[in-house]
Amino acid sequence: MNQHIYLRAYMAGITVPTIFLLVAATGFCIVRYVLDLPVPIERVIVFPMAVVPNAWGLWNMVFVALHSRAKMSIGPHGALLPLLLGPLGMVMAAVLNLGFPPNAIRVLPIAALVGFSVYYLAWKYLVGFLNRVLGIA
Amino acid sequence: MSQQDDKEFRELLKQALPPVADTKLRRDLWPDMLKKLDEQPLRVPWFDWALAALLGVALVLFPGAIPALLYHL
Repeated sequence: MNQHIYLRAYMAGITVPTIFLLVAATGFCIVRYVLDLPVPIERVIVFPMAVVPNAWGLWNMVFVALHSRAKMSIGPHGALLPLLLGPLGMVMAAVLNLGFPPNAIRVLPIAALVGFSVYYLAWKYLVGFLNRVLGIA
Repeated sequence: MSQQDDKEFRELLKQALPPVADTKLRRDLWPDMLKKLDEQPLRVPWFDWALAALLGVALVLFPGAIPALLYHL
């Protein structure tokens, strides 16, 4: 079980956002096709489908690499990931011309706190569980 | 059922269920058992419960944050 530790870390990392993508995609489809709101789903889905799972996998590899040297727990480590993904998501939204909702700036502080909290809990309990199952950390 | 039937029945059972070969353990399982017994059940600290509750309240009060969260998960 000591072989390919980074591959296992990557796989454990991408599992949670990949599963959650089903929820997110369902939400976007309901908004687009049921509520008939003009959400460009084919452009919106690029970031959560391509970037986020890979970022989680790579971030878990970073955790495994750092874990042997610095004893940082996985929850705070995961809570740092929105610092990268948040601005990156905004850049992607701007590049893909998604357009920000009018109240985006107003809810930004709350959204950031929500993001940090969700990431902290998801990494501590879900990714941490998968890491233990795969014998990583 | 006569003793003869009993004997035949026993023989038939033996034929139907051949003895299992190589019943020896390949390794000692007791250390794994001890390790499993020593494992602590998952305990969620009060801080995490409070955080989850605050998160739920925040999502109810500010539903505008939900699309941003879905986009980043």
